[in-house]
Amino acid sequence: MRKVGLLIVITCLLSAMAMGSHAAGVDSSDSSEYLIKAGFIYNFAKLVEWPTTAFPQPDSPIVIGILGTDPFGGTLDRIVADKKIDGRGFAVKRVKWSKDFKDVKDCNILFVSLSEKEHIDSVVEAMKGLPILTIGDAPGFAKRGGIINFTLEDNKVRFEVNVEAAKHADLTISSRLLTLATIVQQAAADGRKSE
Amino acid sequence: MNLKDLSIKRKLMLITMLTSGLAVVLSSAGLLIYDLISFRQSLSQDLMTQAEIIGYNSAAAMAFKDESAATVTLSALQAKDDIVSAVLYTRDGKIFAQYVHTKASARTFPAPPQERGYRFEGSYLEVFRDVTLNGEPVGTLFLQSDMRQWNSRAKRYATIFLSFVMISGFFALLVSSKLQKLISGPILHLEDTMRMVSATKSYEVRATKFYGDEIGRLIDGFNTMLAEIQHRDGALHHANDELQTRTLELEGEIVHRKEMSKELLNAKHAAEDANRAKSAFLANMSHELRTPLNAIIGYSEMLEEETHELGKVESVKDLQKIQKAGKHLLALINDVLDLSKIEAGRMGLHLETFEISPMIEEMVATLHPALSKNSNTIQVHLAEELGVMRADITKVRQILFNLLSNACKFTDHGTISVDVNRSKDQGEDWIRFQVTDSGIGINAKQKANLFQEFTQADVSIARKYGGTGLGLAISYRYARLMKGRIAVESEPGQGSVFTVLLPAKVTPEITGTTQAEKTSDVLVASSEMKSNLDTILVIDDDSVVRDLMSRFLTKLGFHVVAAASGEEGLRLAKQVNPLVVTLDVIMPDCDGWAVLNQLKADPELAEIPVIMVTVVDNESMGFELGASSYLIKPVDRDRLAVLIEKHRLTRSSTVVDAKAFAASLRNASPKKENGREKGKATRNDGKTAAPVK
Repeated sequence: MRKVGLLIVITCLLSAMAMGSHAAGVDSSDSSEYLIKAGFIYNFAKLVEWPTTAFPQPDSPIVIGILGTDPFGGTLDRIVADKKIDGRGFAVKRVKWSKDFKDVKDCNILFVSLSEKEHIDSVVEAMKGLPILTIGDAPGFAKRGGIINFTLEDNKVRFEVNVEAAKHADLTISSRLLTLATIVQQAAADGRKSE
Repeated sequence: MNLKDLSIKRKLMLITMLTSGLAVVLSSAGLLIYDLISFRQSLSQDLMTQAEIIGYNSAAAMAFKDESAATVTLSALQAKDDIVSAVLYTRDGKIFAQYVHTKASARTFPAPPQERGYRFEGSYLEVFRDVTLNGEPVGTLFLQSDMRQWNSRAKRYATIFLSFVMISGFFALLVSSKLQKLISGPILHLEDTMRMVSATKSYEVRATKFYGDEIGRLIDGFNTMLAEIQHRDGALHHANDELQTRTLELEGEIVHRKEMSKELLNAKHAAEDANRAKSAFLANMSHELRTPLNAIIGYSEMLEEETHELGKVESVKDLQKIQKAGKHLLALINDVLDLSKIEAGRMGLHLETFEISPMIEEMVATLHPALSKNSNTIQVHLAEELGVMRADITKVRQILFNLLSNACKFTDHGTISVDVNRSKDQGEDWIRFQVTDSGIGINAKQKANLFQEFTQADVSIARKYGGTGLGLAISYRYARLMKGRIAVESEPGQGSVFTVLLPAKVTPEITGTTQAEKTSDVLVASSEMKSNLDTILVIDDDSVVRDLMSRFLTKLGFHVVAAASGEEGLRLAKQVNPLVVTLDVIMPDCDGWAVLNQLKADPELAEIPVIMVTVVDNESMGFELGASSYLIKPVDRDRLAVLIEKHRLTRSSTVVDAKAFAASLRNASPKKENGREKGKATRNDGKTAAPVK
């Protein structure tokens, strides 16, 4: 299992590098898969609406939490550094897995790294009912109850959206985002079992 | 054809058409252009909207780098026929997605995204627009439209516009061709009328007035003018007729006048003829009267002397009466003749220069008998340096003689004074003779026709004082002849003052008259030593004259040779070479003038003085031909004696030194003796006394 993941990571890295040469990346200086993904995360934030209760104050920053190993390096921090959406800035923080998810709950976007693919179900469970946009890097994350997860199609970064999960999280996703996404349904059986 | 020479009709139509056409074209063109511009504006707005929609729809696809999604979005433009191409550029200018309309040809796209907004590029409308996601640019959209709606709309408009203009032009033509008649109709009518009037010259025609506008007023004015012309024409015709009538009348009048003037001319000719006849008659009569008078006076004088010598005193007195009556008759005849000569304008002037004082003194001396008759005294006042005057001395003398003898005649026991002085007036010297008497005077009525002929102051005067009554008339005319004048001042009972004013230098009436210059004092001397100083040749065809002259001259101590004809006279003159020749004019065959001519032509005889003794009153002719003196019959014997004596003295005294002058004088023109006496003066003198020496 680990070997497969590593292999994927390597191919992803290679393909991202190849892609960067023919499709422009968000940041020309860093054209890797995660550079694109970091840009996507930022664009998601634009096309998703949070309930007002999600922020303690009107100008509170959108907090992006990276759960598990950070694959972006400093790229995500750089991309969102000076950006603002509807008067809100960004804040990026790395969170660790814990029982009570104390650090996780004040996030608005939670990026679930590949390193946490073992804990997907428990993360999804823990986030249920919370207005947190969960983005997974592992395949099938959306089907297992996450809201968005990245995929690779012909070496291009694409994404899947679980509209049902978004509704539960009280998040409104723009139709423009949806038209570009692959819409997935939550699998009825336990995700871990099927895998 | 020149636009300006078009008829009013055409001009009006042209103006209407141009005006309405211009209005239609301008307004509709303005409307169309406005519509087209605003349509273009709305087209560009549409395209912008289109771009906005496409941009919005493709923004997410661009943000998430989904080219196929973007291409699909662009493909939706297939429904828009006018959009020929659409391109999406990434932020770094690369083509992200593109679309070309199926009907459009393959084309290249503008490489980098250019200025945002729309622009018209050739026949295309292009739009560049930023594609944004949540306000953040993610790329650029390019849209290109071929504006086919606009083009088709413009074409449609052009068609509509053209047909509209043509239709409205047609209607305008229709309407204006009808309406122009409102203006051109009356004008054309007026023109027709005018042409008719000028062609037929009939001013009864009137132009019809259609409307009350300016042309209507013009027609009114024209009609008024026609009426006026008609009126004037009538008046002119009338005046012309009248003029013709008048002209006819005038012509009649002229014919009448012409006849009258013809008659008058005839009458004038008749009168002139009568006058000439009168003059001829008078001349004849004078000759006829003088010849017998010559005999009467001459013989009575002879008889008187002879009777006196015989001591028959009674007879002497009778003879003296005969003599006196004869002389009076002679004076009368002479006066009448003089007057008739003056009237006929035949009285000439014989101007000479003479001293005034001696003339006056001689005059006064002559008057002595008349003065003593009425016991009058005379006073003579001569101004100093009276000098000479140039005039006809005979006439001056006669004027003064007449005045003085009148003064003597009408003054009794009174004083007569003569004043002579010289004055200057208007640059000319004048000699003023004034005769004052203390006689009976003249009243105003008498004064009025004092100088008229045949009028004495009173008829009774003629009886009482005698005289011909012609003296003053002659004096007056003589003075006028010499450009002088006579004035009289008088009160009845207070005496009279007669003033004669004569120019010191009388100018001849006509230059080059027969009078000759008489300045030389050189006496003519005989060149012939053998001249018979005591022989006188008398040439006369009248035996009575020859007889009287012979007897008279013999008595004076001269030897007389008589010739009865001119030829004889000439022959005798050569034979005897007389002291003086007396010559008659009117003789048969060779008359006196011819004899005188031949005498003067002969150098041997030229020096002999010739005294004309004749009834012909033409002393000018005599002097011209070289006569020395001119006496008119009947001869005043005393005068003749004086003249002959003068010649005798002259010739004898100059004989000695005559030789010296002879040569130089030989060819000189015949000179008249100085201070020659004229027959007329002699005659007048003869009235009362012999000239005083």
